[in-house]
Amino acid sequence: MTTTAPQVGKEPGKKRGDVLGNAGLYIAVSVAALLFLLPFYLILRNSLSTDPEITGENWKLLPSFQWGNISELFDDPTVDFARSMWNSMVIAVSMTVGTLLICSLAGYGLARIPYKHANKVFYAVLATLMVPTAVTFVPSFVLVSSLGWIDTYRGLIIPGLFSGFTCFLFRQYFLGFPKELEEAARVDGLGYWGAYWRIVVPNSLNFFAAMATITFISGWNAFLWPLVIGQDPSSWTVQVALSSFMTNQTVNFHLIFMATAISILPLVFVFLFLQRWLVQGIAQTGIKG
Amino acid sequence: MSALSNSNWDRRNVLRAAMGLAAAGGLAACGSNNGRGGSGGSGTQLTQMFHAYGEAGTEQAIKRYAAAYKDANVTTNWITGNTFEAKLFSSLLTKQAPDVFEFHPQIQMVKSGQVADLTDIIGPVKDDFNPADIKSHTVDGKIYGVRMIDDPQFFFYRKSMLEKAKVDVPTTLDELLEAAEKLTTNKVKGVFLGNDLTPAINPLLWSAGADTLTPDNKPAFHTDAVAAGMKQLRQLFTSGNLLLDAPADYWDPSAINQGLCAIQFCGMWAMPAMQKALGDDLGVFPFPKVGDNGKQSVYNGGWSMFVNAKGKNVDAAKEYVKWLWIDQKQYQEDWATSYGFHIPPRTSIAQSATKLKSGLPAEGVKLFNEFGHFDNIGWTQAMITALTDAFANSVRKNGDPNAALATAEKKVNAELKKLFG
Amino acid sequence: MSTTTTRGVAQPAPAKASPARPRRGLRGNPTFNFWLFTGPFLVGLAIFVFVPIFWSIWLSFFDARFTVTPSKFIGFDNYKSMLTNSNFTGSLVTFTVFAALIVPLTWALSLGLALLVHRLRFMRAFFRSVFFLPTAVSYVAAALIWKMSIFTGVRFGLMNTVLGWFGVENIAYLSDPNPPWYWLVIVTVRLWLQAGFYMILFLAALQNIPAELYEAAAIDGAKPGWQTFRYITLPQLRATSTAVILLLLVAAYQAFDEFFNIISIKATWGQTPLMVLYKTALGDNQDYGAGSAGAVILTVLICAVTLLQGKFMGFGRGEDSK
Repeated sequence: MTTTAPQVGKEPGKKRGDVLGNAGLYIAVSVAALLFLLPFYLILRNSLSTDPEITGENWKLLPSFQWGNISELFDDPTVDFARSMWNSMVIAVSMTVGTLLICSLAGYGLARIPYKHANKVFYAVLATLMVPTAVTFVPSFVLVSSLGWIDTYRGLIIPGLFSGFTCFLFRQYFLGFPKELEEAARVDGLGYWGAYWRIVVPNSLNFFAAMATITFISGWNAFLWPLVIGQDPSSWTVQVALSSFMTNQTVNFHLIFMATAISILPLVFVFLFLQRWLVQGIAQTGIKG
Repeated sequence: MSALSNSNWDRRNVLRAAMGLAAAGGLAACGSNNGRGGSGGSGTQLTQMFHAYGEAGTEQAIKRYAAAYKDANVTTNWITGNTFEAKLFSSLLTKQAPDVFEFHPQIQMVKSGQVADLTDIIGPVKDDFNPADIKSHTVDGKIYGVRMIDDPQFFFYRKSMLEKAKVDVPTTLDELLEAAEKLTTNKVKGVFLGNDLTPAINPLLWSAGADTLTPDNKPAFHTDAVAAGMKQLRQLFTSGNLLLDAPADYWDPSAINQGLCAIQFCGMWAMPAMQKALGDDLGVFPFPKVGDNGKQSVYNGGWSMFVNAKGKNVDAAKEYVKWLWIDQKQYQEDWATSYGFHIPPRTSIAQSATKLKSGLPAEGVKLFNEFGHFDNIGWTQAMITALTDAFANSVRKNGDPNAALATAEKKVNAELKKLFG
Repeated sequence: MSTTTTRGVAQPAPAKASPARPRRGLRGNPTFNFWLFTGPFLVGLAIFVFVPIFWSIWLSFFDARFTVTPSKFIGFDNYKSMLTNSNFTGSLVTFTVFAALIVPLTWALSLGLALLVHRLRFMRAFFRSVFFLPTAVSYVAAALIWKMSIFTGVRFGLMNTVLGWFGVENIAYLSDPNPPWYWLVIVTVRLWLQAGFYMILFLAALQNIPAELYEAAAIDGAKPGWQTFRYITLPQLRATSTAVILLLLVAAYQAFDEFFNIISIKATWGQTPLMVLYKTALGDNQDYGAGSAGAVILTVLICAVTLLQGKFMGFGRGEDSK
């Protein structure tokens, strides 16, 4: 991980003997880190406790490590949690693949293929960014339902593939892609399509990885759309299942928090392994103005 | 059976997901397959929609009844979470709408042609139903829903705690406030009225001698007694003697069971769970009198079965409702008394339901008969929201009750105008 | 193949592809390729974004209760009823308060974290990961932790436990809007969720500030610390700050998940515009006409705000000049 940190140059105010300042810095950053980790601690503590321990009169710092809570969660007949995890995985992965494919092509087209109305098309795409997608959810819902896509993966995935924002980010990125590389490809006789797949994509894997991570996270964490489209419990995503745990008639703290912990786990892994590309990608997204 | 509801993930589903993806490119597959039907082979497909009951075994029971029905293949949508209304309403707009669903009688469902006329299936057994339950489902002489269960809502209290604090069972709102004060310790709060206090709204109207609507459908809730009652409720809310932000809301018995409060407003359904946790240390009383001209009251809520008039199989759906909720009396009794306690709306079943004959359940039944107020079919969701807002603004926020009630009255009048012209 | 090769030969330094030149093969034809690349996206965009938008606009002029295929045209009545609906106007106030709290706070916290992490020499990646990690958590999960473990109104909530050590009575953070503790709950949850993401943006921007600027400032006698921050760091971060503020505003405008799960739709306060739309259209009276009118009003507002902000802070201008 340390290798991923871009090395800081020498910076003013960081003279050799600044031990005191450094200690203060590390204390400040550690306190902040503890606060940021606190919710994770609560999830772990509560998910591995029994309900009486959680609701008891005195705060228990460490849980009694009830590993049985895991199997209890997956055996719970009221919410099919394993199924909702699987649904979320299928949806997040398909959305990532689909969005990347569709939006990167469009972003490249808008950035690099000369066409006299390209700007107008780009402004039309830009305009959709202004309309909060959630604002149009009622007509979208009716549209999707009239296609017969309620309770289906199609309904959950496809409407989310056409992200104006992702397309915009790809366009910004491709605007900065070195032209020389593509031109070399042209000399070799490749068309736009060939140059894109053989030269542009292989040289942009970092950015694709970053966009993939962002898309995967937002697909996994989406709530409003799956809430409306996933009518049948068998098509619930993990977020909808969590929300229903929270408002269920009977409150089982240990199960709720175990569900939360397990719902976060895949993303924490994605994060730890892909963070390097993600950080680089975000830095490259062209939000430099 | 939706494409997703097969219990095992199989290759066909992967293929469908892949096809869905392919459709994103070509969009060729629009509407060709709605993902439902087909799986059961021959026979009619019906879908029924229920909100999730909290009591263990309820979901299995509903599915068991459905499985016993031979003339159609019935799928159950069991909606957990607090979004049942939204899910129901939005799915009624679509082709995947349920054929049969449970809800409360509300006239806009009738006016918009959403629910089917069930007079022909209820008519023959009309006299066996509680007349109030027939009345609350009737518009212009036609009956639109079959009541499954009646759910009286009242206060439950810990006898031992009241004795220890030397508090009598409150019969007026003033006494309830005093009791809350005396019962509150640093570990236990006096009263729990739900986290947002909404369950107290209707009982407060009735206990103050007012009502939601007059018989000729004019707002009847804006009276001085109601406004005064809201001020008292506000007093209780700010007194520190009311349990707030409890992890489970009023419908769940855990607040009183965990000893978080001495008195909890709840429904008859939770009685078995409370008896199990607290034994005999449990009593019930109706919503106390508000002001001088009031009378104690109990809200007789409940759930009814409706048939989606815009569904594909209206007749088959009506047959199913008739079979289960009119003909199958042993299922109806099982549903009303085996999980939570509910009062069967059918006189013949109520008489044979031995579990409700003695002890605390019998006291609940007595409150239901003596103090009960039933749903008014003209009191719709939009009006409920208007009054909920008024209470939120003046009881939880420090607004003027009269002004809040006037605003609600305006909204209700607008809604009434849309419904009745 | 031959066309492109010839082109390559004919134009030894093709700095820009010339759009005017007609091509014989489809492969090299820019117009064809433009639509080939953007086609799938644009078709999807048209169906799943533009159709709902126009459908919304159409619905907003009809009496569309309990139906989305209405027939009764009522002109601007839905707009009138939404604009006079105190819930809707109240939600705009809620959004304004929320934005006024969350935007500056997130900006300050993420910049502060970035400055701290930027100065670290050891365990830098570790601390960056810690601050970044909440980005992986969903609003639903975070709302759940906040509501059921940190800010629970009863004795076993973390906050009330800690306050209890100092003899403070249990506080009902969510039921009781006076004092408005619910803002503390709502703001902290979002702060925790998004600060790390914006910290990464600031970190990237900090690394792009040329070290010579600081060296020059040091020569000019500027003291490291506040002075260099005020006169070098902050101006250099201007573009990033603008982008961050815009993104934060748009996100605040669309707030739904945590409000829905923490405050619920039964309160009359803390209702964001989207929650009111949800209530109007899906929640209770199924008034799709009024709901759509509200959506159109919101869209117009957000466009206005974005354009105004662009005008004042210059976001978006750089783009065309690229």
